[in-house]
Amino acid sequence: MPDYALNTSENTRRRHIKEVRFQWVGRIAILISLGFLALMFIAISVRGYSVFEQTHIQLDIFFDEAHLDPSGARDPEMLLIADYKPLLTTALQRRFREVQERREKRRLYKILSRGAVFALGEMVQKNPNLIGTSQRLWLPASAEVDLYMKGKVDVSLEEELRRLKNKEINWVNQLKAQGQIKKKFNTRFFTKGDSREPELSGILGAVIGSAFSLLVCFTIAFPLGLLTAIYLEDFAKKTLLTDLIEININNLAAVPSIVFGLLGLSIFLGVFHLPRSTPLVGGMVLALMTLPTIIIAARASLRSVPNTIREAALGLGASKVQTTFHHTVPLAMPGILTGTILGMAGALGETAPLLMIGMVAFIVDVPQGITDVATSLPVQIFLWADSPEKGFVERTAAAIMVLLSFLVLMNLLAVFLRKKLQRQW
Amino acid sequence: MMSIRIIAASLLSLGMVVGPSGLAAEGLSGAAVQVSNRDHIKIVGSSTVYPFSTVVAENFGRTTRFKTPIVESTGSGGGLKLFCAGLGAHYPDITNASRRIKKSEIDNCAENGVTEIIEVKIGYDGIVLANSRKNPKLEVSLRDVFQALAKNVPIGEGGLQANPHQTWADINPDLPSIKIEIMGPPPTSGTRDAFVELAMEGGCNTFPFIKALKGTDKAAYKALCHTIREDGVFIEAGENDNLIVQKLNANPDAFGVFGFSFLDQNIDTVQGALVNGVEPSFERIADGAYPVSRSLYFYVKKANIGQTPGIAEYMQEYISDKASGDEGYLADRGLIPMQPAEHDDWVDKINNLEPLTVD
Amino acid sequence: MFPSTNLQLRRAGRGSKLKEQIIIVGMLVCSLVAILITIGIVLSLAFEAFLFFRKVPVFDFLFGLEWSPQTAIRADQVGASGKFGVLPLLTGTVLISFIAMAVATPLGLYSAVYLTEYAKPKTRNWIKPTLELLAGIPTVVYGFFAALVVAPIIRNTGSGAGFDVSSESALAAGLVMGIMLIPFISSLSDDVISAVPKAMREASYGLGATRVETITQVVLPAATVGIVGSLLLATSRAIGETMIVVMAAGLAAKLTLNPLEAVTTMTVQIVTLLTGDQEFDSAKTLAAFAIALFLFILTMGLNVIALKIVDKYKVHYA
Repeated sequence: MPDYALNTSENTRRRHIKEVRFQWVGRIAILISLGFLALMFIAISVRGYSVFEQTHIQLDIFFDEAHLDPSGARDPEMLLIADYKPLLTTALQRRFREVQERREKRRLYKILSRGAVFALGEMVQKNPNLIGTSQRLWLPASAEVDLYMKGKVDVSLEEELRRLKNKEINWVNQLKAQGQIKKKFNTRFFTKGDSREPELSGILGAVIGSAFSLLVCFTIAFPLGLLTAIYLEDFAKKTLLTDLIEININNLAAVPSIVFGLLGLSIFLGVFHLPRSTPLVGGMVLALMTLPTIIIAARASLRSVPNTIREAALGLGASKVQTTFHHTVPLAMPGILTGTILGMAGALGETAPLLMIGMVAFIVDVPQGITDVATSLPVQIFLWADSPEKGFVERTAAAIMVLLSFLVLMNLLAVFLRKKLQRQW
Repeated sequence: MMSIRIIAASLLSLGMVVGPSGLAAEGLSGAAVQVSNRDHIKIVGSSTVYPFSTVVAENFGRTTRFKTPIVESTGSGGGLKLFCAGLGAHYPDITNASRRIKKSEIDNCAENGVTEIIEVKIGYDGIVLANSRKNPKLEVSLRDVFQALAKNVPIGEGGLQANPHQTWADINPDLPSIKIEIMGPPPTSGTRDAFVELAMEGGCNTFPFIKALKGTDKAAYKALCHTIREDGVFIEAGENDNLIVQKLNANPDAFGVFGFSFLDQNIDTVQGALVNGVEPSFERIADGAYPVSRSLYFYVKKANIGQTPGIAEYMQEYISDKASGDEGYLADRGLIPMQPAEHDDWVDKINNLEPLTVD
Repeated sequence: MFPSTNLQLRRAGRGSKLKEQIIIVGMLVCSLVAILITIGIVLSLAFEAFLFFRKVPVFDFLFGLEWSPQTAIRADQVGASGKFGVLPLLTGTVLISFIAMAVATPLGLYSAVYLTEYAKPKTRNWIKPTLELLAGIPTVVYGFFAALVVAPIIRNTGSGAGFDVSSESALAAGLVMGIMLIPFISSLSDDVISAVPKAMREASYGLGATRVETITQVVLPAATVGIVGSLLLATSRAIGETMIVVMAAGLAAKLTLNPLEAVTTMTVQIVTLLTGDQEFDSAKTLAAFAIALFLFILTMGLNVIALKIVDKYKVHYA
């Protein structure tokens, strides 16, 4: 205890310094915490932003009828299996006439992505009239060329240590000089599913997988959570059973998420034989996890509705059920929705339980329903973080940026609801 | 009105919870749950074959009217176990393996009704011992590798002791004096099997008295040659070869054991050790000079052809020249193709859907 | 509009006693789901764990010093010897959680104190939600950040200073996990500190104490119980965290307390043992459930204690 009787100026000064020092420690603690947040955002954005542009190469493609559809029948089945690669090799050969040697030609073809072949196939299937015409097209470049154009290839490295050799760099530079190679907005990243080729992979499959999972999660957790909250708040008498329920809910909120995954694995998959790797099971697991959050938020919101409202309704002759559903619940709805959205945001970012139920696989097709196999956004991030190809590092970071934007949107929506709709009593 | 809506919603949700359990009860009570028509091929198995299979699956999905097969990486052993667990849509159609199926696995399959299995060989892969480019390249013999990793190593003529080697120089003064730290795959992985059989056993056989043991006491020989030390020098890194590559970059003193394709994909950051003086390169593995190379396979349930759409077509895609041929797209991914004559042999076998016979 | 609603109400009010009873029972059933989930968790974990303990004695599991679960999967294969001692995993988990708490506790507490006692309402209004962003970031993102950014930095500075740092150190995982926990601690202790009655503060000021003296000698001692509760809750969170350790900690089950070495945790082993493998007949896969049961009991225990403490604290100042 400081000796207050001897309040000399020296003592005051020391106490003042202590005061200032303490404030600064607090400020520094906050600065460090926010600094980490900033560092994380910067580290990820720096790596990820380049995905939003994709390198394309301009070529004159001749859709040779003799090659694609010699019969001239334009049978869709035939157009599907036709080999589109020769169209590209011919075009490239015409562009780089000096390349003659066989091995070198093969290297030349590799400056284009395999996606260029698929792109031509899709074009022809959509519009068979292209056959027989010549078109000037922008086609996706390979991942290596893309990385080079984005300045992510260390050209000072010895040639044998680079996947992109001097020859290729030379060709790319030639194209660059004539404006036949450029970066365009990467629509594919937002409109396609996963791929083994970094330059062809997109996040739509994962986004839809997440959306389906959240849909299932919401349909189960919201009504269940809401009704539980209403019951506990407005109807339940304090009994051993309701005590037990309350303790349970509080404890469930602290159960590690991976344990819910194990529950899903052994009960939903093991006992019920629900289809593995699907948003149905993923959503169910997430629902169990989100339930406590929703219940707790909904109860808090119901509690904040003043009793005068209930008493007024009861006084006018409404029954207890009517009072709750006609008056209390609608008034508490903004708060309940806010809590639900935050719970859903948590579910959107959850990874570990989904690993347990097999939502971690290579899936190209965009899922069409809740029983199609799918991944989710965070699982896709986990998968890409593990892929050997260089190009996936930037994709992982970009996928994180997309995930974070969804989370920010959900949080903003929650804040908006709280600010605009919630009543202050 | 509100109450009716809320109640309807809750009924819906209850339906969602109860509905599936009702289904499950049906499934439990009677016939096994037959997900009658799965419309996509289900593939499991080796993490080494995974990068190749996913590329083929993707190409197959994009250039045919079939759905893209679903590929999960479970390790060769894990995959074969799932594959052999039974017939029907619940179990995978195809499993990848980075080693040949074992007799015990064929028996297990047969017990569960999986009698006709079609074997497809897709090419070769080398197993490399790689480290970061930040450190010098290592030159080892198989004998060194065995002495670095075995649980027990020979002492003198015929004696054994718990592996005392802590640094590479402890084994062989020519090797650098850095701590031995090797990350490699767990027993579910075919890479582990192949590594143990080729590298460890190869090194083991350089000790004459152990080699002699092979004839007299096979079990003891195997226990000695196949057992990897568990004192933390060898780190089981899971079925994730790519993670190993990242870890190598972070720790230049560590080595990793994985397939050549991963080395090939990351050639700018990691390098493969010379084994018995031979560099792990595309050419030296293809011509058989590199001592640690194995064949890659996948196995198909014949009974499922015609059940799951597209299996036969998928096999055709895999074995086609544009995929696993000399200049196919799999070679770009680091798969070492078979010689043309051998490739043609396999094409014939697959066209005839010849099932595997126990030899 | 209004008359018809009234009519409806009256009509509903008359003949629907039964309907209301049904609604109430329906809600009761819904609230039972929470119990059902807990029972489901306990049963599923206990059942598989029971199968596991038939293969491996409970004693060996709880007190075994070695963890080497990668047993042979075929008769003709030689795998690891199959040791299922949970202690190395527990050590790793405790080590990483300890590091995380060592990072998060001072940062979180000081932030909370500053925000409640010093910050202007305006500053507080934007700093608090910004800090809480840290809690909203998915753990897979932290994992990526830890593996790609933090681990190499730690290794490089460590080797530069002459330490032998493993490529995947407990330090990297723990540090990043600590960042994740800051907002938990800061907002929980924020509530606790704010709950200390104003009268106590004013009494302290009245006696001539400065703010820092009031905080350290009056407010914090009064809030200690609640803060301990919130730290326990955060610890329970750290123990159960999965993705950060899966991506940034290792698989090496070592009995070590050296933060520069690679360690493994219970959650990492659950993921490793169960991804891909779906067979429930080997000690290896069943072990995952035994670990999970252990983890569940541990976190549940911490949580119950923490909630009890916080409740008591609330009563104290109610």
